[in-house]
Amino acid sequence: MMASGIRDKVAILGMGCTAFGEHWSRGADDLMVEAFEEAIVDAGIGREDIGAAWVGNALDDINVGNSALPLAHALRLQTIPVTRVENMCATGTEALRAASYAVAAGAVDIALALGVEKLKDTGYGGLPLKTKGLFNDLWMPYGSAPGTFAQLAGAYAARHGIDAGDLKRAMAHVSWKSHQNGALNAKAHLRKPVDMDKILGAPMIADPLGLFDCCGVSDGAACAIVTTPEIAASLGRQDPVLVKAIQLSASNGWELGFGEWDGSYVRNTRVAAARAYAEAGVSDPRREIALTEVHDCFSVTELVTMEDLGLSDEGRAPFDILDGRFDRGGAQPCQIDGGLKCFGHPVGASGLRMAYEVYTQLLGRAGDRQRDGVRLGLTHNLGGAPFNSVAAVSILGRG
Amino acid sequence: MPERCVSAIAGYLPLLRIDRKAASAALRWSGLGGGVGGRRAVAGWDEDALTMAVEAAREVAPLSPDRLILASTSGYFTERSQAAMAVDALALPRSIRTGDAAGSRRAGTSAMLTALEGREEWVVAAGEKRFAKAGSAQHLLFGDGAAAVRIGDEGAARLVGSASLAHDLVDIYATRDHPEPYAFEERFVRDTAAEVISAAIRSALSAAGLTAAALKAVAVAEPLPNTWPAIARALGITVPNAATLVLERVGDLGAAQPLLALAVAFAYAQPGDLVLCAGFGSGCDAMIFEVAGEVPGARAAAALLGDGVALTDYSRFLSLTGNLDLAWGMRSEFEQKTQASVLERGGRDVHGFIGGRDSLGNVQFPKTAMPVNPALSGSEALQDVRLADSTGRVISATADRLNFTPDPPFDFGLVQFDNGARVMMEFTDRPASGFAVGDRVRMRFRIKGQDTRRGFRTYFWKAAPVDRPALENG
Repeated sequence: MMASGIRDKVAILGMGCTAFGEHWSRGADDLMVEAFEEAIVDAGIGREDIGAAWVGNALDDINVGNSALPLAHALRLQTIPVTRVENMCATGTEALRAASYAVAAGAVDIALALGVEKLKDTGYGGLPLKTKGLFNDLWMPYGSAPGTFAQLAGAYAARHGIDAGDLKRAMAHVSWKSHQNGALNAKAHLRKPVDMDKILGAPMIADPLGLFDCCGVSDGAACAIVTTPEIAASLGRQDPVLVKAIQLSASNGWELGFGEWDGSYVRNTRVAAARAYAEAGVSDPRREIALTEVHDCFSVTELVTMEDLGLSDEGRAPFDILDGRFDRGGAQPCQIDGGLKCFGHPVGASGLRMAYEVYTQLLGRAGDRQRDGVRLGLTHNLGGAPFNSVAAVSILGRG
Repeated sequence: MPERCVSAIAGYLPLLRIDRKAASAALRWSGLGGGVGGRRAVAGWDEDALTMAVEAAREVAPLSPDRLILASTSGYFTERSQAAMAVDALALPRSIRTGDAAGSRRAGTSAMLTALEGREEWVVAAGEKRFAKAGSAQHLLFGDGAAAVRIGDEGAARLVGSASLAHDLVDIYATRDHPEPYAFEERFVRDTAAEVISAAIRSALSAAGLTAAALKAVAVAEPLPNTWPAIARALGITVPNAATLVLERVGDLGAAQPLLALAVAFAYAQPGDLVLCAGFGSGCDAMIFEVAGEVPGARAAAALLGDGVALTDYSRFLSLTGNLDLAWGMRSEFEQKTQASVLERGGRDVHGFIGGRDSLGNVQFPKTAMPVNPALSGSEALQDVRLADSTGRVISATADRLNFTPDPPFDFGLVQFDNGARVMMEFTDRPASGFAVGDRVRMRFRIKGQDTRRGFRTYFWKAAPVDRPALENG
């Protein structure tokens, strides 16, 4: 029996997002307050109208603190239920999913989802190192995030018989395009265009990913306030941004431990996308989805994701990318806000940042980077590694 | 007394070889480094006396022995049995008798003598990764490596005579207060050691009722290069010393030196040949074997001397031998504390690389209550399957330059085993071109994690190229 899903049962009343970057002078609480205050003004309600809250924070318990209490403290929430969620890099979407479920279930009228991460106090670039569990540490490699995603490239090239140099150029175009977009976004972490030669000649981080194939990590927070379409209407929002779908798929060890996967794609993205398209009633995503914000933690991830979302045929993403299909002026732009690559990646906030851009585009508020006729937009938020992942796909739209 | 024999022999050498003259050249300004030619074998950062001894022992322990002795003067743990760890790494029954032999370079041959004088099936494995300070003669003289012998009532090499001398000759020493070897004058050592070694060999020949002229091959560990000629002259032996070849090609392997040299001597022996083996260190052990046929493993062990990859970077050599403590940055501060309770729970499967086969035949690692096989939906007990001796191919790979490793890059990826299992694992013994999708790999027992704060290390298996390259200009 197929569940009816949450399509059109949840409206986004307001959103907020800080600039992402190296906020040396601001703590996690400052970032949470800024994102929240933008969202609550946008929503046109008061703090006391919020019935429940979820905070997403993925990596750094030392800095933000564990449990949901850092959010309750930062916003001085008055004894409402507040919960922390964590699902690696998919944490931000996980917070939005929880808040949306609460509203769709009728448990609360208005719910808050906020993602935050304060990563630039770790003292080094990249993600903080964490144990994988005391038993797993006895045998699992301590690979870095670029190390895990870099493996997609060789496996993809082997599966599709694509020359490593051609693949590298397509990957470079992914990053080139995001730098072009980030330059136009005042909230983006990286705002300088970079030319292809510099990208292709950058030092290697994890073969074949060079420096510009990798997103950095940032400080930042993003926030959504959700309610029912009926309550939104009562607050004067006749054509609000609606949640069309939020779907999640998680690895159970199949990729790592069962001999079927060839390492060239992310199964969870495919599963979550299929479910999201079904939930949203999307039958032709290449035509119906106006733009996407996908998890471009690494250039090769975005490349593979285009196929996993069904936006390129298998083996064709490098060519679609080089043809400009996903550029700002292309048929189906991807990362029009700069993406993880240039908007930045404060891990727990990223899923909500993606939603923020789609929301902004749907409301026609995107200024210089506004696309015409945006009715449906997609976010793809991927946690973990290609071989052990959590993929979240959400579709937001109007009408 | 029943006859006792060596029934199999094996060696293990790490991948890298440094040219001693080239290494000395890096220290020319100081006048240090020694003038010996040839090469020394250099262990990877993830190898130690235990891992190398296990690699050698694997070759002679396809069937479990009754007793296992690990001999080394450089075992990492001083309170934790190397032999007990090796039992798990070799997936041997925990009921076998184990022992750790240490205290002198003679530990390997002394354990062999005990085995040869005893009963039941023994495996004696010796491994060394001895620290020596850069600039000392030992830094270039020593080599890293291992060897193992199997001893029992039957075999191709029968013991016909032996002798042992305890003699507290201090050519070098190491103590808890001075862990690196302190060496005394070379002329004194050569002259005195030659007398000790010659006396032991004479006793062994006498016990066997033989004269030195009967020896067709010898494997006599020398405390220093060029000690052998004096011994040969004193005894009237004219055949070359296989240990000299080992010393020249890969270095002085300490407790493993006479064992690997014996393998080389066996490799070239003909049926009926008499072969001498002697270990030196605080005295001398001497054994004479009569070879009845090919000793299994001997030729493969001898062939190891021609394998390897040239290590040309002196600073990397310093780093790999513990002589260069680089500032690796904050990423190297990663907490790697191991809990004994976790090791107790999972250590045997991790050290033995034992996965499980489910009721539909799929093999997985590690074993779990619920099988990974999507066709199964309930918990079940999995049947043990050892993966250490399986080969596989690389599904995905990268050379990670961000993650900390003492010898970058950090190679890792997904390995598909031929028996159906697949494991995300580290790669080691990196070929010049790196690892790529489709490469064939075999498993090697290596150090997994090093807890520098608490002085502890963990071990697991890593994927390495199936074949070792031959050393160019070797």
